[in-house]
Amino acid sequence: MEFKLEAHRIVSISLGKIYNSRVQRGGIKLHKNLLVSLVLRSARQVYLSDPCPGLYLAGPAGSPAVSPPQPGEPAAGPPAGWGEPPPPAARAAWPDAEPRPERLAGPAEPAAPVTGAGDTPRGGEAEAAEAAWRRVEGQREAAEGGAGGPAGGSDGFPEGPRGARRPCGCPRGTEDRPGPLGACPRLDCCCAPRPAEDEPPAPPAVGPRKRGAADVGGGPGDCPAPGSSPRKKPRRNSEEQPGGAAAAAEEEEEEMETGNVANLISIFGSSFSGLLRKSPGGREEAEGEESGPEAAEPGQICCDKPVLRDINPWSTAIVAF
Amino acid sequence: MPSHRMPSEADIISTVEFNHTGELLATGDKGGRVVIFQREPESKNAPHSQGEYDVYSTFQSHEPEFDYLKSLEIEEKINKIKWLPQHNAAHSLLSTNDKTIKLWKITERDKRPEGYNLKDEEGKLKDLSTVTSLQVPVLKPMDLMVEVSPRRVFANGHTYHINSISVNSDCETYMSADDLRINLWHLAVTDRSFNIVDIKPANMEDLTEVITASEFHPHHCNLFVYSSSKGSLRLCDMRAAALCDKHSKLFEEPEDPSNRSFFSEIISSVSDVKFSHSGRYMLTRDYLTVKVWDLNMEARPIETYQVHDYLRSKLCSLYENDCIFDKFECAWNGSDSVIMTGAYNNFFRMFDRNTKRDVTLEASRESSKPRAVLKPRRVCVGGKRRRDDISVDSLDFTKKILHTAWHPAENIIAIAATNNLYIFQDKVNSEMH
Repeated sequence: MEFKLEAHRIVSISLGKIYNSRVQRGGIKLHKNLLVSLVLRSARQVYLSDPCPGLYLAGPAGSPAVSPPQPGEPAAGPPAGWGEPPPPAARAAWPDAEPRPERLAGPAEPAAPVTGAGDTPRGGEAEAAEAAWRRVEGQREAAEGGAGGPAGGSDGFPEGPRGARRPCGCPRGTEDRPGPLGACPRLDCCCAPRPAEDEPPAPPAVGPRKRGAADVGGGPGDCPAPGSSPRKKPRRNSEEQPGGAAAAAEEEEEEMETGNVANLISIFGSSFSGLLRKSPGGREEAEGEESGPEAAEPGQICCDKPVLRDINPWSTAIVAF
Repeated sequence: MPSHRMPSEADIISTVEFNHTGELLATGDKGGRVVIFQREPESKNAPHSQGEYDVYSTFQSHEPEFDYLKSLEIEEKINKIKWLPQHNAAHSLLSTNDKTIKLWKITERDKRPEGYNLKDEEGKLKDLSTVTSLQVPVLKPMDLMVEVSPRRVFANGHTYHINSISVNSDCETYMSADDLRINLWHLAVTDRSFNIVDIKPANMEDLTEVITASEFHPHHCNLFVYSSSKGSLRLCDMRAAALCDKHSKLFEEPEDPSNRSFFSEIISSVSDVKFSHSGRYMLTRDYLTVKVWDLNMEARPIETYQVHDYLRSKLCSLYENDCIFDKFECAWNGSDSVIMTGAYNNFFRMFDRNTKRDVTLEASRESSKPRAVLKPRRVCVGGKRRRDDISVDSLDFTKKILHTAWHPAENIIAIAATNNLYIFQDKVNSEMH
């Protein structure tokens, strides 16, 4: 149990570091972000393997009286730093407010074995989705004029936690854009693999954060209107063309790739999109897939649907990666 | 180095390096400046003030830059300085920030021609009617002037942040390493470099480790080593292939499962690697230890020294305050018998490989009056506490000694403590043992 608390705390701290690395002078340090992502992965594994799945993690001062983001409401921040989960009562309201749990129920079964470290069936489709998502992500960020966007739109509340409230960043219910779930890069997320979904994963892989106010979860207020998202991909593509040509022309112009920071972004909302914009992001969660030995851990099935319903959004966010 | 103004972040020393004779000591700081100290020759008149280091030259090496294409600010902080072997009266050094390496030439001017025919003393043209005879200008001594000029700028070679540079023993080439790539340059050619190591995966999602430091072998110009964030060392032979992605030797110690924690990976990341002067050994520094590796044994280091093992139980706090990411350097003495590295609270540690004795010393104004003998310090970890011991909890983690250097031949060390430089000499044992 204490491991779970410790892991939870370390995950919060790590996300904070990744967030802060955006604004650091000199650009994002690849090495540091890689190390932070490794810690994130370790903490996640411990968190997931700790055998008290439905436990609500209260903050040190007891549960902060923060209600989970209601539909149409901008996510409010917990008063005492981020990462504090909302109180159970409010939490119960969350699943009802969203059709999400239903969605979770569906793919949860097949996805269950995938949790823990196991980024097992990292299908090509999911990867394509992720890559597409990343491209869109970058484009969106470009459109927003850089990292200032999300931060600016924040309601004074660190973006991380707000994003974190979004369970695994997977799109909700019906207002999903096609494929945004496919865009959920974390295969081991509860609502993960939707390659079987009707929608091709590749398309405007729009993270839930793009939903904006219309989003069930009341995503970050700075998100562009959902409708605007799909446009981004085509634009990004055309942008990529000349960029790509230039890159091909001169090795020196190679863009520093941001790697799996995109995964974090999808999970935790627009706040991290600045990472893509700026610099070589860290090596981040998705490297979990190469954790072969860890994937073999038995009893990783804490992604049972009933359990998921009970776990507060913050926890599900962790489960997601 | 006295700081004449309020200490600011720009004054924080970021690298320290003796030249090959030890006569010169260069420091770089976060503000992009390089300060070179020169050792005063021993004076027969005042034997006690033998060989002290005074400021020789100061110049601005790098300026902050902005990469407009990527909206990135490029810090001017000097990451590394390496001296070139001296071939003539001039000294040369390479200094680098995150992106650009520069070759600087340092020359002295201590004579000045006097007696020009057409110009007067101030350099103004003479009235020709006053010139009645011709004279040959003569060189007259003048106050020493040290001139520094940038001779080469090696730019656009790196996409990621440069962490190390190393001059080859062939004195013609050098390498620069960033997180994912190592480039080989010729000192005379700035528009071209050869990529000799590339560990960037095709898919950045597969990235698991980065390059943290690299160095050429001191004698074999075809060999170099690079360390990784996973704690491994790779020795590469440039004769084997143009692209040295495949190592000749891989030095890696299996992890001790009993020490596993969330932070195991971070603390195993190698922050510095140095060949011994003999070329037979390598010294590595990770967060809690320094290790000596024998080039002939890849399976494990031959010696491991605990720098501050009492921090092992505090890794979570150190992660929180970012100290766990501090990159400490390490150094050999001239005879490869003693190794040195920095720690927190302005402490630095020395390990004698022969006697297996170690000592903790402090670099601070209070404890370092000129010609005072440094008193060994001790960190107590609970249990019996002696009078001058420091407890782990009262260590000042903002006072960290990341950069240290050892004179190539004598027992003189340079310690950078934030924005202060300390130079300690072992007068008693001025020869190496």
